[in-house]
Amino acid sequence: LGSTLDRSRILDPTLAEAGEERIRWVARHSPVLNRLARERLGDGSFEGRRVAVVVHLEAKTAYLATLFAEAGAQVVAAASNAMTTQDSVCAALVRRGIEVHAVRGASADEFEADLLAAADFEPDIVVDDGAELTTRIVRRRPELAARLRGMSEETTTGVLRLRALAADGKLSFPAVAANDAWSKHLYDNRYGTGQSSIAAILRLTNLAGAGKRFCVIGYGWVGKGLARYAEGVGGTVTVVEIDPVAALEAHLDGHRVAPLAEALPDADVVITGTGTVEALDAAALRHLKDGALLANAGHHDREIDVAALGPGEEVRDGVTRHDVAGKRVYLLAGGHLVNISGADGHPVEIMDLSFSVQALSAHLIASRDLRPGLQRLPAELDREIARTKLATLGIELDAETEAQRRFREDWTL
Amino acid sequence: VSTIADPSLAPGGERKIEWAKAWMPVMNLVRDQLLEEGSVRGRRLAVILPVEPKTAYLAAMLAEAGAEVAVAFQGVMVHDDVAAGLAARGVEVFARHGSTHEEELRFFEEVLRRRPEVVIDDRADVIRLAHTTHPEVLDDLIGASEETTSGVLALRAMEADGTLKVPCIAANDARCKYLFDNRYGSGQSTVMAVADATNLLVAGKRLAVIGYGWVGKGVARRARGLNAEVIVCEVDPFAALEAHHDGFQVMTVEQACSVADIVMTATGTRGALPPAAVERLRDGALLANTGGIDDEFSVPALRERAVETRRVREHVEEFVLDEARSVFVVGEGVVVNLSAGEGHPVEIMDLTFSVQALAARHLLLHGRELEAKVHLLPHEIDEGIAFRKLETLGLEIDRLTDEQVRFRQSWEAFS
Repeated sequence: LGSTLDRSRILDPTLAEAGEERIRWVARHSPVLNRLARERLGDGSFEGRRVAVVVHLEAKTAYLATLFAEAGAQVVAAASNAMTTQDSVCAALVRRGIEVHAVRGASADEFEADLLAAADFEPDIVVDDGAELTTRIVRRRPELAARLRGMSEETTTGVLRLRALAADGKLSFPAVAANDAWSKHLYDNRYGTGQSSIAAILRLTNLAGAGKRFCVIGYGWVGKGLARYAEGVGGTVTVVEIDPVAALEAHLDGHRVAPLAEALPDADVVITGTGTVEALDAAALRHLKDGALLANAGHHDREIDVAALGPGEEVRDGVTRHDVAGKRVYLLAGGHLVNISGADGHPVEIMDLSFSVQALSAHLIASRDLRPGLQRLPAELDREIARTKLATLGIELDAETEAQRRFREDWTL
Repeated sequence: VSTIADPSLAPGGERKIEWAKAWMPVMNLVRDQLLEEGSVRGRRLAVILPVEPKTAYLAAMLAEAGAEVAVAFQGVMVHDDVAAGLAARGVEVFARHGSTHEEELRFFEEVLRRRPEVVIDDRADVIRLAHTTHPEVLDDLIGASEETTSGVLALRAMEADGTLKVPCIAANDARCKYLFDNRYGSGQSTVMAVADATNLLVAGKRLAVIGYGWVGKGVARRARGLNAEVIVCEVDPFAALEAHHDGFQVMTVEQACSVADIVMTATGTRGALPPAAVERLRDGALLANTGGIDDEFSVPALRERAVETRRVREHVEEFVLDEARSVFVVGEGVVVNLSAGEGHPVEIMDLTFSVQALAARHLLLHGRELEAKVHLLPHEIDEGIAFRKLETLGLEIDRLTDEQVRFRQSWEAFS
């Protein structure tokens, strides 16, 4: 244990018990990981493998890392975001024999050094979030990229970056778009982000959702979840989009659709969920009304142009007040992911699904020689995760009848 | 002179009070009115409410309008930093987190020793104290205003047996209070407190609400808003039918407990979860109380029944019932939005406390003319608060036309 601690960079090993408590709660509410993933990972394909887990370092991620270690892998964990690390969970991981490089609130330089430390662990398999470690391996440790068995990516943003990497001819290893599995994006991006982001906004401010006008920027899976839960707490929703198909979907879902300049002036709460940068830029900020709350539910802290807000005064924990053209504007969680910097992130049961996708993706990488390049999790594995989840809920399904199968297969009928 | 935990916590408390103030536009209008007309200047008021930022601003704004204000409350619901911030604003505060029962009694007596003219009470605690062991304060006491459903019930009982000696306003029964506070306030804050305290998903969960009064309605609606499958349990046939027509499943507590993932009590009474229902609970069930009294379901009985208990998260305690079954109590069985959260949303309390402030004003101005009974807040005052709230929201509404008024007043309208 001493040596794991020596190799790690964490805040305080004595916090381990509090972290253990959190991981145990996650284990209790992760039936798919406990049943399907644990059985699959335990087939010996992880013996002696080196796995890097670079996802928000809180209890759910810690439990995933623990399962890899239990299956015989050497595991290193680092943060994909410096503001979302829970130091007690890091301490518990170290006590469980996993090397950790993460401290909450790390500076940009420290964050970089932690990620490079994870790279220098020389992983065979990377479980990544936002392609934070993968892009650094490609740029800063190209010799490791050549030896990588494969990586698996958690987020929409990360998949976008991997596509850019592939377009540039630099994706020389297998990359599984875990995000694109149904068992991931249909639930995690929508219900997970939806519930936890809206709850975090209400908790950080102690304000009412009822009667509030929400402006949701971006109507991908995340935006859909945000809009639905904003309505669920009694708000009305305006959606801002650049994609005509998504905009039409928002319209038919019963939301008002408007360009930013029209949507912002009466918005009480503005939430970004675009997966890109400067969704709320300096020009847009001028349209905000007095008292507007701003929060980001997308991958990056760059969706809101925080610098353009100018200096802020902290008026509540996690809430800063800025003067924008004579109006009071409140920024939540510094523009970082609001659900996870302000609280515990996604609900446990959602991450049970997402991390089962990650576990089976990593298992695929460990046990098969995949072709280089971006690929999906095979549909059969994806369905198996959903089927297992339903079984743990005690929900039964019907099966296709013989007549239905014939109709589907025989075009002459 | 206040009795609080630590005066040095004042800056943190002040920041919280300022935040509340920034989102209470109606209260700010009421303060301006009281200040301008001088209706509370030099008058002695007691505020008996949980010491948290919103109530603190009620006490602070009454003081700003010139009243002499004393505050006390039981320690479970006292934020020491807010108590310090309030004391620093010149309000006398008798409250500290974790106070003993004896201390709390002393705190209430301190407040009564100041001979308040009006008491803004919670669960009628101090009114009852004044009528039982401290009748000497009744001469100076013009009246009281009561915050909760359960407190109003107690006052009506006092009125019925002739014990009540001063007029009381059932602030709880004002429309600007129960329609919003009990429904949207409790609904949002209690459902969110359970989700926050557990970090669990609500979508797809079966959530049983016991009681379909205003609080139960709010809980059911917000739980549905988070994609839960909602079950309602009632004893009143009208409320049960209402729940049915609102699209919720209706069943008995025992039936509900055998299928529910989350059980929330909102009955305003005791014994909501009888032993037979506890025996039906599923492994992993979460239990939380959203009602006005602290023992809607009995945590001590659960503790006695359990073979083992342990704390598993900050606000969550596990009760192992047998080898195959544990249930989890969120927020100690005390009203969960306060025990595991920050209470009602600020804007909701803007309405509730405007009712309280104007009820206190009404008693100061007209209390001596009122009978020693439980009264409603006069309709014009209640309506005035709603109009002011709409105005601060920038919302306009229509008025009846003269013709419509005539139609409503004339029984020959159809001729």
